[in-house]
Amino acid sequence: MSAALRSYGAGLPARIALGLLVPLALILLWDHQARHGGEHAFAFVSAAQVAGALRELWQSGDLLTAYGNSLRNAFGGLFWGSVTGLAVGSAMALLRPVDWVLTPLYHGLRQVPLLGWLPLIGLWFGSGDLSKVIVVSLSAFYPAVLYTYEGLKGVEARMLEVGQLYRLTPWQTFWRIRWPSALPSLFTGLLQSVAFAWIATIGVELLFPTGFGLGTVMQHGQLQARLDIVVVCIAVVGLTGFAINLLVARLSRHALRWRPVRT
Amino acid sequence: MNIDSRAVVRTPEQPALRSGALQLKEVRKRFLFDQRELTVLTGLNLDVHPGEFLSIVGPSGCGKSTLLRLIAGLDDDYEGHIALDGSRVAGTSLERGLVFQDHRLFPWMTLEQNVAFALIRRDMSAAARDRLVREHIALVGLSGFEQAYPHQLSGGMSQRAAIARALVNEPKVLLLDEPFGALDALTRVHLQTELQRIWMSQGSTMIMITHDVDEALYLGDRVAVMQAHPGRIAHIVDVDLPHPRDRAAPLLHRLKDDILAELTATDAPRSEAVVPLTRRRSG
Repeated sequence: MSAALRSYGAGLPARIALGLLVPLALILLWDHQARHGGEHAFAFVSAAQVAGALRELWQSGDLLTAYGNSLRNAFGGLFWGSVTGLAVGSAMALLRPVDWVLTPLYHGLRQVPLLGWLPLIGLWFGSGDLSKVIVVSLSAFYPAVLYTYEGLKGVEARMLEVGQLYRLTPWQTFWRIRWPSALPSLFTGLLQSVAFAWIATIGVELLFPTGFGLGTVMQHGQLQARLDIVVVCIAVVGLTGFAINLLVARLSRHALRWRPVRT
Repeated sequence: MNIDSRAVVRTPEQPALRSGALQLKEVRKRFLFDQRELTVLTGLNLDVHPGEFLSIVGPSGCGKSTLLRLIAGLDDDYEGHIALDGSRVAGTSLERGLVFQDHRLFPWMTLEQNVAFALIRRDMSAAARDRLVREHIALVGLSGFEQAYPHQLSGGMSQRAAIARALVNEPKVLLLDEPFGALDALTRVHLQTELQRIWMSQGSTMIMITHDVDEALYLGDRVAVMQAHPGRIAHIVDVDLPHPRDRAAPLLHRLKDDILAELTATDAPRSEAVVPLTRRRSG
């Protein structure tokens, strides 16, 4: 998409405008439904109501507190999930016995939806922040393992031969050849981990009633039939996810600047 | 790039005497292929003189590349004897450099970093390392491109960079496995001239595999002609012309006709039929 636009000479402002086209159309449609939707109108709230809810949540400080709590859980989980995922994925890729023992287990566990673990995790660790961070970690862990494994396994033999030719130690071979050649895959994994971690953060807040995050606010809104609050939360969650995604994509483009630009 | 600089930066992996006499005696290499034993090289005897440029030509599948990998030490499962200056080849060594047909530069490293990569195991000061890298980038005519990534270089430039990386260790023997095989004809001619200049200024022994008989004759002091099934050296042609050479020299043309006649006459149809298509490129 972006490549095609670039070749037609569309600049960044034009691309941003095009990206906003559909969301704006949906908001207008929504607003129209809220005001003229007849019997369905109760399921829609007007833009003015949503703005009011935003102001209310902002002034009470609830929005900021909830946002901070959610972000903390998300980044805590993302950090632990990525770090352990990186370690486990590397061990599976580099040590054959670990590969034999853990890889089938990993592919089995990966099939279990995250929701399936919630009762067990709740039972073992309670329903506090610890459990939430564990669930978020798990969601970040799976892609981290997979892409670390694929990246490190996918190193071309012809590149390793160059290392052999110049008599690199196994450690040097890892840092100078395997690791950089796995980087593109690692960043793909990170991009997925980030997205899943954020989704899991909100999801687990909706399902675990303790604490106070965006998901909690959303659920309170639902229980009080305050659809305007729910919409505010959805917008904040969506925009945050979008921003984090953009940040990681930028980071990855910088770290992988040695790659030819694909058009 | 003088004798003194070598004396300063020497390490245990880089012994004092840079001679570069390579000796192969009754070398035989067999592969197991589909439970069948495949003899790739047999009865191979070869003496490469110090500082000599030896070209090796031969039909596809005659084991040329296998031979070079044995000398490089990438594969040390062979029978017979391969020795450099009297010591048996076992594993790779910084004394024996290798340039592949594909440049094999690391895409995530700049040209400078790629060349310096060859010096990772050398114990030397950063200043000495930088100087060696700079000198060798200049030697292959790439000064000014130190910070370029491989995808920003043309095929010919990448292959020059690969030659700089192989030479930066000042190996006794430089092995070249069809180094210009993937380049267009014009670039190839240009790089052949360059390689001749580099070889004359370096004094390393060089062994080059090629499909191109012109190239083999233009550069080689001698040309070894190989035959396939099983791979062996049929005979060795002396190219008695001083360097630098003129491509138009009548002697080169006469020798070319001889070698081509030999390569195309003997069991050529059979070799085409027997060698699996996928393995032909690797020679």
